[in-house]
Amino acid sequence: MKRNTLVLSIVLLLLAAFAWAGWANWEYRKQAAEKRLASAAKAELVAGGAGTGDFPHFVSPLMSHPAPDFTLEDLSGKKVSLASYRGKAVLINFWATWCGPCKIETPWLVDLRNQYASKGFEILGVSLDDLDTDDKKMLANEKRDIAKFAAQEHMQYPVLINGASIDKPYGGLDALPTSYFVDRTGKVVATQLGLTSKDDIEGNIRKALGAGM
Amino acid sequence: MKGTGFSPYIMRSKSRGASASEGTRIRTNGQSQFGLIKFARFFASLTLALAPLAVPAQSPLADSPNRSVFHGAAVEYLFPEQVTVPAGRPTPVALHFRIAPGFHINSHTPKEDFLIPTSFSIPGTAGVALKDAAYPDGTDFTLPLDPSTKLSVYTGEFAIQARIVAQRGNHLIEASLHYQACDKNACMPPKTITVPIDVIGN
Repeated sequence: MKRNTLVLSIVLLLLAAFAWAGWANWEYRKQAAEKRLASAAKAELVAGGAGTGDFPHFVSPLMSHPAPDFTLEDLSGKKVSLASYRGKAVLINFWATWCGPCKIETPWLVDLRNQYASKGFEILGVSLDDLDTDDKKMLANEKRDIAKFAAQEHMQYPVLINGASIDKPYGGLDALPTSYFVDRTGKVVATQLGLTSKDDIEGNIRKALGAGM
Repeated sequence: MKGTGFSPYIMRSKSRGASASEGTRIRTNGQSQFGLIKFARFFASLTLALAPLAVPAQSPLADSPNRSVFHGAAVEYLFPEQVTVPAGRPTPVALHFRIAPGFHINSHTPKEDFLIPTSFSIPGTAGVALKDAAYPDGTDFTLPLDPSTKLSVYTGEFAIQARIVAQRGNHLIEASLHYQACDKNACMPPKTITVPIDVIGN
């Protein structure tokens, strides 16, 4: 009797172990599937070593793919879509007023835009500053701050707001500045994350302009 | 990471193996338990065989490369976890934080209007109120590509001296630290982390 109880307990334990193993395996597969889905659109920061502060090399899954289309408002409330720039080389530059490195590269962008505009090049400066869309007064203040920064930095190219609404198709935008260089056919030909150099940006602009420049 | 996830399970499996040895000792005492021993041995082997299946579930981040600081919080709350203060009386509490190496956050008084200051707050309904907070002075910092602009930042470890007033009783509060972190080339969006403190007012 005692032996039977023991055997029964062991069989039950065995069944429990099987059930647990099945569940663990299912959980793992579920997590792996979720990760795959997330990484499909997610840009990666391939380091440099965590915590070293070294600039990570930016690898975007959007490379060589069509840039996801978007329509955002500019500071005057006018809707601007990426699709309307088809035929031009476009630098989509994600920035924010609180981003020091963005402030450093902005004068470079202004210069390069002046230099290459006649070749069919445009910059879309997409602000990732938070917007309180539920609070009109706050929203007005936030727009005013973005406009003030844009004026101070002489950003004569279209400055679009509410960039957070398109962060997912553009890889999450975990850090700024982030730039996507789009060629005349709408394909992403280069990406940059973080501050690099004016020469790097210019090289990528020329790549986006391609043979038609 | 994989190793850490694996070992505890193996240890458990080994302890089941020990049970089998105990079974062996029982047998030498003359009790006929051959079937049971075989079963126990089989079970121990099976458990060992199943162990690898458990590893992925125990360490879902096993294949996560060592680069996640950008995706997580650049600032970590260190201590205290619990403080005892006289009820109803403003009492200073030093809250310690650590910033991930290579990163900086703006001080409470950044030098430019556009920059986001580091600030600490306590939700109003917690039974604990924040009377005021004294922040450390920032240290001067310049980005390599813009040596003319001095920023006021925190790096490494820093402490905020918060004066709190607690009602009598035990309050598990979730205070907040709002900050915006950058390294020398890029900035992460502003973030708010939870600062959990068990405040005992007596």
